[in-house]
Amino acid sequence: MIGASIQEALTLNALIGIGGGVFMGYVIGVIPGLSRSVAIAIAIPLTFYMSPLVAISFLIGLSKGTAAGSAVSAILLNAPGEASSAATALDGYPLAKSGKPKTALQVGLVASVAGDILATIILIFVAIPFARVALMFGPYEMAAILAFALVFIAGLSGGNIFKGLAAGAFGIFLGTIGLDAQTGLPRLTFGYTQLMDGVPLIAVAIGTLALSEMFVQSEKLRFQRETMAVKLEHRADDHITFPILRRIIPTILRGTGIGTFVGALPGLGPSVGSWMSYGVAQKWSKTPENFGKGEPQGIAASESADNAVIPAALIPLFGLGIPGNVSAALLIGAFAIHGITVGPLLLRDEPELLYSIFAGMVVASIFMLILGWFGLMVFAQITRVPPHVVIPIVIFFCLGGILLQGYGTFGLVILMGFALLGYLMKKYDYSFVTFLVAFIITPMLELNLRQSIILSRGEWSILLDRPIAIFFIACTIVALVMLGQRTLRGSREVEAVAQT
Amino acid sequence: MQRQSFWSGLVVIAFALLALNWIIPEYAGVNPQAQMPPELVPSIASWIMLISGVIIVLRSVVGMARTGQMPVTREINWSALSWAAWPFLYVGAAIVVLDNFGLIGLGHLNILGRDDVKLTYAGAPMIMGMLYLLGERRWHVLLGCSLVPVALLYGLSVHLMRVGVI
Repeated sequence: MIGASIQEALTLNALIGIGGGVFMGYVIGVIPGLSRSVAIAIAIPLTFYMSPLVAISFLIGLSKGTAAGSAVSAILLNAPGEASSAATALDGYPLAKSGKPKTALQVGLVASVAGDILATIILIFVAIPFARVALMFGPYEMAAILAFALVFIAGLSGGNIFKGLAAGAFGIFLGTIGLDAQTGLPRLTFGYTQLMDGVPLIAVAIGTLALSEMFVQSEKLRFQRETMAVKLEHRADDHITFPILRRIIPTILRGTGIGTFVGALPGLGPSVGSWMSYGVAQKWSKTPENFGKGEPQGIAASESADNAVIPAALIPLFGLGIPGNVSAALLIGAFAIHGITVGPLLLRDEPELLYSIFAGMVVASIFMLILGWFGLMVFAQITRVPPHVVIPIVIFFCLGGILLQGYGTFGLVILMGFALLGYLMKKYDYSFVTFLVAFIITPMLELNLRQSIILSRGEWSILLDRPIAIFFIACTIVALVMLGQRTLRGSREVEAVAQT
Repeated sequence: MQRQSFWSGLVVIAFALLALNWIIPEYAGVNPQAQMPPELVPSIASWIMLISGVIIVLRSVVGMARTGQMPVTREINWSALSWAAWPFLYVGAAIVVLDNFGLIGLGHLNILGRDDVKLTYAGAPMIMGMLYLLGERRWHVLLGCSLVPVALLYGLSVHLMRVGVI
């Protein structure tokens, strides 16, 4: 079966999908302001006519390509394509300015690919046993785990757990719109037949992530207009050497470990991974004073962790069906569009597809290395595209993506509503990550809650026979108390600083 | 920040109260036979919003009292506000225009025997207008950046129509 799955991932269609995804991801990642989640949100409508394997491989390739591409703008522009590459800019830009832009880019690329491949291997070896254990879970355990994940994400993806909880609860509220699964009656649809299937995920994702981000970017243009990229020239001494490679290998391994650990925990995201890895690399370095001045180890630490987070975030997704971040949440949506339930059931019902996806992920890493190595000059040119040119084009594709699905005016109005919501959430620090994850997992949460209530016939004591469910309920309460305390303590510290 | 939290918290509370007192009772539906009523999950979500909103407002009130801030200020930066608002208004106006002129949908050139004008026709002027407002004046950039994306979407939509997806 595994051999057939690998063959499936090596068909021409799959290779075109994966290669196309990585290439598109690279191009989008290089453009500052266009993040991984924006890229996936815009690309989901393109995957409708693809087979499930090609569609998912395309989106995972896109995600990987974006992470690697964002390093290019961080190094050449000092303007990271996304927040997780900000640590890369600390050493990448000074190294590029010192006349070694190609070396900086190659160090970033090698670290990205190594971190990505190693984390993918860890994913393959961890997710399957994880899913086997999860298959033994019943609705009580799944409902408790989902509630715990939501609280965890709410507390960690933003600074304020109360705002995170409010955002998550709003996501749950909107996720319940549509036909009630038990009664078959419309729920919270306000009489609109278009809402019978629920609020369209594509409109929510594109509005909250992509369109709102374009409005945020256009607001920034008021102060930041032109960007100056470091020029990439052919120089004999400007390339990665064996001594550099030998120095960065331990850093890459450490960064991969940190990125994998952070990625596997829901809610933390790649930024935490890359900064944590950078800090640890500086601490372990024999020359910590060189960090921030063009140290290749700094680039390797940040990039390896950033890229390791992507496969690692799929561990809870494939193992439990819980998305650890926005990109994983969007993948759940993409799976759902193709009629596939992601999580432990995927291992039971469609193991070939799961193994093919894993094989596709390794192929995507190889594409990433080839495209990155030979396309450096081309991608470096893309950094010269001014941001004001990108915004109207992305907005156009956002509208086009909605119309491709045939949602018409209603879809566009919903899109604008969620763009405004996403903009306000970003502006007022309400976690849009929690909102989106909650919105996407609500049907699963509600289903498991309903099954638990029906099976228990309203008897809470049945939980006493369910130690795993009790454990996660206790974890949820502990996380709520601890993260609540952290938020309250944080605000007191801010007030003290403001008063002094 | 405290002021922003105060007002946003009030909005959260207002929505939660609206949901609990009007939206859910009116639109969630009832089923006395169901062991799990359809309004249960939306109600739990609304209560979480209400409790979180109250904590956000209380914290910001305490914070404002300690730092001597008032909930309202006269220092509204109208220039920043209008700069933030115009892209929304532009896209919103574009949707209204598209809708009123029957331009909603994806374009084609009579491939399916219809001659309705769609987003692919209106897209180029839409992109060009926004580019101009964002300060772009080079004609080749205006032309290229507005025509290439439209051509790409057009090509994609034609392909999807041919394979029968849309």
